[in-house]
Amino acid sequence: MPQDVIVTQKLTKTYGRPPVQVFALRETTLSIQQGDYIAIIGPSGSGKSTLMNLLGCLDKPTSGTLFIEGRDVLTLNENQLAKIRREKIGFIFQKYNLIPTLSALENVELSMGFAGVDSQTRTTRAKQLLEMVELSKRLTHKPSEMSGGEQQRVAIARALGNNPSIILADEPTGNVDTKSGENIMRILEDVNTRGETIIVVTHNMAIAQRAKRVLHIQDGEVREQHA
Amino acid sequence: MLRDHVNLAIKNLRHRLSRSILTLLGIAIGIMSIVSLIALGEGMQQAVTGELSSLSDVIVVTTGGDFMTSFGMGGATAEYFTDRDIADVERTQGIRDVSTQLTGTALAEYNGETTVVSLTGMDPQIMQLQYATQGLEAGDFLNEGDQNKIMIGYTIAHSLFDVDVLVGGRMTIHGEKFFVSGIFSKQGMGGVSSDSVVLLSIRDFEKLTGQSNISIIYLRVNDVTEAEAIAATIEGVINENHGRKDFATATTMTSVLETVQSIIGILQLVLVAIASIALVVASIGIMNTMLTSVMERTREIGIMKAIGATNKDIMSIFIIEGMLVSSIGGMCGIILGVFGSQGLTLILNSFMMMGGSSNLAPVITLVSVVLAVAVSLIVGVLSSLYPAWKAARMSPIEAVRYE
Repeated sequence: MPQDVIVTQKLTKTYGRPPVQVFALRETTLSIQQGDYIAIIGPSGSGKSTLMNLLGCLDKPTSGTLFIEGRDVLTLNENQLAKIRREKIGFIFQKYNLIPTLSALENVELSMGFAGVDSQTRTTRAKQLLEMVELSKRLTHKPSEMSGGEQQRVAIARALGNNPSIILADEPTGNVDTKSGENIMRILEDVNTRGETIIVVTHNMAIAQRAKRVLHIQDGEVREQHA
Repeated sequence: MLRDHVNLAIKNLRHRLSRSILTLLGIAIGIMSIVSLIALGEGMQQAVTGELSSLSDVIVVTTGGDFMTSFGMGGATAEYFTDRDIADVERTQGIRDVSTQLTGTALAEYNGETTVVSLTGMDPQIMQLQYATQGLEAGDFLNEGDQNKIMIGYTIAHSLFDVDVLVGGRMTIHGEKFFVSGIFSKQGMGGVSSDSVVLLSIRDFEKLTGQSNISIIYLRVNDVTEAEAIAATIEGVINENHGRKDFATATTMTSVLETVQSIIGILQLVLVAIASIALVVASIGIMNTMLTSVMERTREIGIMKAIGATNKDIMSIFIIEGMLVSSIGGMCGIILGVFGSQGLTLILNSFMMMGGSSNLAPVITLVSVVLAVAVSLIVGVLSSLYPAWKAARMSPIEAVRYE
């Protein structure tokens, strides 16, 4: 019986106050199991990124509850949230978001550094991860010296650094060409087959169809699409 | 962990190299001015201490006003000590030896020209002690037992007569022939005035004038720690002899030294306070640069938070950055300060015309270096505290959204 890694109840995010209140996300109730592969689709401004930011503990909901591996996220303080972000969650952004002054290797090591992994262990692991995403020859390159696809693969390696149970990817293929996009999805699916939970936000229906579950968001409301 | 933060800070400083160097320069200048001014003050302290501490067992007794105004200004006082005063002083316990300085005026003739000079008769040993730091332009000091020899000041030698007086030259004073043994260097400002004195031995003075106009008594004590007490006793005894409370003033060199040192200490403090303004400006510079850096790196901060950095991590990265800038700046400032103080001394020496006799040299002490390092680190922490706090407080979502 797979465990629920994410459970939300009536999770809501609003901006502004009545009467000009905008619902970015409306009373969303979800449960996501260990090893799930979920695609979230919907038009621009529908609330996809809001949901991702809430699940990734980057943002705080207006109301409702969010449990990650059984812990009520809303009761956690800043430090505890930071701990969840670095140990339970791996974030992959559309725009890669690597630190421009650091090399590929240093970028991958960074999150492990925040987690307090000793430098020898993390260098070894970072090299393994970069090898896995086929970037062994780019260890010392700065983000500006790499293509979009390569940067995104560094970002994936970084997200995997602390062995998170959940990978949140916000349009990971949005800024790369088709071939690189395919490569990136294949890596994520590999990771998923090893038991990691993957949640991908995408515009691309072809990518969404590969997922085990597809969630539609429209005007802040989430509906499950049944195959 | 800390190493990572340092690494991140270094990477970032290098990324914005010209800005980092300019910020660093501000701190370097601030620290430089503090280090060089402390070195200068310390140099002054040591020069004065060196000059006066060789006289630490000496007590000077003068008539009338205090020692500082009458010292070396031969003939300025109209009252003289009596033989009874001298005898009383010699009887006082704890005294090693007593010598006197006699003052008066006389007609002097050189190369057919005649003019009035002020004479000072004193013990050759005391003469050497008192004028040791002065230095001679030419010739030698008088020796014990020398007869009919004089020492003259720079003005006497070069401006008083139409022709310059030379060592070995013959000057006639009160009809008696004297040979010039030594000429003092030009003194200018500061120190004990010697430019217009004619010095001769006590015996020659008495022989010449038939008087013993004792205006200053020098005495040395056996135990320096008793100097103050002995000075008070002597002052009391002489005042009683003359039936006046303000006839004599006995001053120990230690008390003069203390006064001079405290004056220099205050001067030093003022100089450092002024130099500190440069440091305050520099720390505002750091804060400004860091605030700009925080703004520019809003997105980076958000990313770091998104991948698990705590507020403490973020604060530490920025504070380390500030500390790096200020400590490297501080190091440069210390090095610049070492050279700066040399330059400053050079300027001061030529300005004060202390010439070859000057022994003012900047002194870089370990304390001042440690102080400079500590101050620059503190400045680094203080001025990066606010920017770091601002960075740490950013919400990861706002920061990641920021373009």
